[in-house]
Amino acid sequence: MSDSDVKEPEATTEDGDAKGDARDNESPAPKGDAPGEGAKADAAKADAAKDSAKSDAPPKSGPYRPTPGKPLIEMSNVTKTFHKGKEPLTVLDGLTLTIAEGAFEALMGPSGSGKSTLLNLIAGLDRPTSGTARVAGHNLEKMSDGELAKFRAQNIGFIFQAYNLLPVLTAVENVELPLLLTKVPSGERRKRAETALRVVGLSDRMGHYPRQLSGGQEQRVAIARAIVNDPTILVCDEPTGDLDRKSADDILALLTKLNQDFKKTILMVTHDPSAAERATTTRHLNKGRLD
Amino acid sequence: MVPVKYNIRSLVVRKTTTAAAGLGLALVVFVFASVMMLGNGIRKTMGRAASPNVAVILRKGSDAELSSGISNESLNLVKAAAGQVSASGKGEVVGEVVVVILLDKIGTDGMSNVTVRGVPDGALGFRSTAKVIAGRAPKPGAADEVMVGNGIRGRFKGLEIGESFELKKNRSVKVVGVFSDDGSSNESEVWGDLNAVQSAFGRDGYVSSARVKLDSPGKIDALKAQIESDRQLGLIVMRESVFFEKQSEMTATFMTALGVLIAVFFSLGAMIGAMITMHAQVASRQREIGTLRALGFSKLSILTSFLLESLFLALVGGAIGAGASLAMSFVKITLLNASSWSEIVFTFDPTPAIIVRSMILAGVMGVIGGFLPALRAARVSPVEAMRA
Repeated sequence: MSDSDVKEPEATTEDGDAKGDARDNESPAPKGDAPGEGAKADAAKADAAKDSAKSDAPPKSGPYRPTPGKPLIEMSNVTKTFHKGKEPLTVLDGLTLTIAEGAFEALMGPSGSGKSTLLNLIAGLDRPTSGTARVAGHNLEKMSDGELAKFRAQNIGFIFQAYNLLPVLTAVENVELPLLLTKVPSGERRKRAETALRVVGLSDRMGHYPRQLSGGQEQRVAIARAIVNDPTILVCDEPTGDLDRKSADDILALLTKLNQDFKKTILMVTHDPSAAERATTTRHLNKGRLD
Repeated sequence: MVPVKYNIRSLVVRKTTTAAAGLGLALVVFVFASVMMLGNGIRKTMGRAASPNVAVILRKGSDAELSSGISNESLNLVKAAAGQVSASGKGEVVGEVVVVILLDKIGTDGMSNVTVRGVPDGALGFRSTAKVIAGRAPKPGAADEVMVGNGIRGRFKGLEIGESFELKKNRSVKVVGVFSDDGSSNESEVWGDLNAVQSAFGRDGYVSSARVKLDSPGKIDALKAQIESDRQLGLIVMRESVFFEKQSEMTATFMTALGVLIAVFFSLGAMIGAMITMHAQVASRQREIGTLRALGFSKLSILTSFLLESLFLALVGGAIGAGASLAMSFVKITLLNASSWSEIVFTFDPTPAIIVRSMILAGVMGVIGGFLPALRAARVSPVEAMRA
């Protein structure tokens, strides 16, 4: 990653400003310069936003409206049980957890301790067997598959260990994918995807296919894809697991920047203690419970 | 909506399996379109000679000229009836005799039936679409001269201009010309002098059929009423188009049924091929599908995406098959016509409707073959994206 690209003042300022605009309920039409800004604003119905601010009840779906001082993720007495054959397997056992907005938290623990399961529940990929999972103002345990898909599209940015880029799409086309779920017009989509790639320092690799990129570059494309829609939370599953030390450090630096400059709340599952050091808080999970 | 380029490129990347499934689909569409084109060619060839204001008269109980016989006396009564019906007082009537002879085929061993039509003078004038395209018409009353239809020229020995063949033992005739008739079944016949054919085949005093040309198509019903009401005559009257329809009915229906049958069985195979290909696509793209689901794409959009992929594969295969089938329009095929027991040359006759039907068949195969794999894709859990 090129530091000069990441620190490019114009891109940083634009995105920061845009994010501020999009999240400001009082703000009028979006300016449309930064990734995700329009999507947020498009979905923001003024009435719903006002209701959300007055009462605690969030809209059924839609982007999160931050309320300072409130926790962003609240897991209460969450249990997750899988059935493999006839034997039930309890992976999360009455877990309770609160994460504040703007946090950068690492989740560690031995294999099978339930880290990925917890991450899946927070990201709305799965529902708890019992307990409540309230994320960005939504009660996920009550939502249907379709509502969860919408929730993920609007609130969660995913960063996977294996990058999970679609191999037949170019870098910029991969980054554009989340915007296809919004009403952003196609020309604007391409502009935002390019801006996101500039933010991660890949402005010169936009037309490259994943196979033409190094592991570190692929992961940066994946990060661009995760932030293009301006989500509230970045969910990272072993983001440096497949990378060499140098590339891993670059990715971690980028995540830190997204947390500090762009105020993204980041939840990262990792086995790597040096990755966990970058986080502001590290939690340890063991046999489905937090230590 | 998942971008369509994702599906198209995914198919392109897996070239071999895509090509195998696509070619399977192409083959089915090729066979389907070709047989439909042949069925259409048969109907057109047989019906092409039909004139709207011409009636064909046969002996009652016959539905082909070969099995019909009308005496000269009856023919005179038909002429009188035509005169009464026609406004001008005289309808144009020709009596023709139709027989079948065996001739040696060129290029293959063996013989085949050829229809010989004995026509009176002025037969070319009666049929406005028939014209001599090489050589000349036989001289009026010349018993040893014939002309051959363009369709069978060069397919049998002795049917070139200047050559001779035996109409019957010791009755040699010489080919003096070649005629065309708008590609109709007449072009598969030999036309000679009426009296010569009658006497050669012992049909003196009889013709096989009579054709009556009236002022307008509407008058045919009146002629029919008048002739058929005379029970002693024992004749039936039908429009020429109806007559030709009856001649081609059996062969055309057989070809169409055969085509549909082949297409059904072939398409089952091709659909299974498409299904296997799409299943393989889904199986090898579990993580990609999981990722799309994780990003927020709905089950329905995944289902639609994979159905479109299958549809695209089928339509490309279908277009190749339909395109290849168009080349069949350059091919001529000889079939034994069930009603005349003689060979008629048919062409594959493409129409826009056949191409559209073929593409619909391809689309249906794509959608049916792709449905289960697409359903399987839609059921992929977004958690799949997280599996390393």
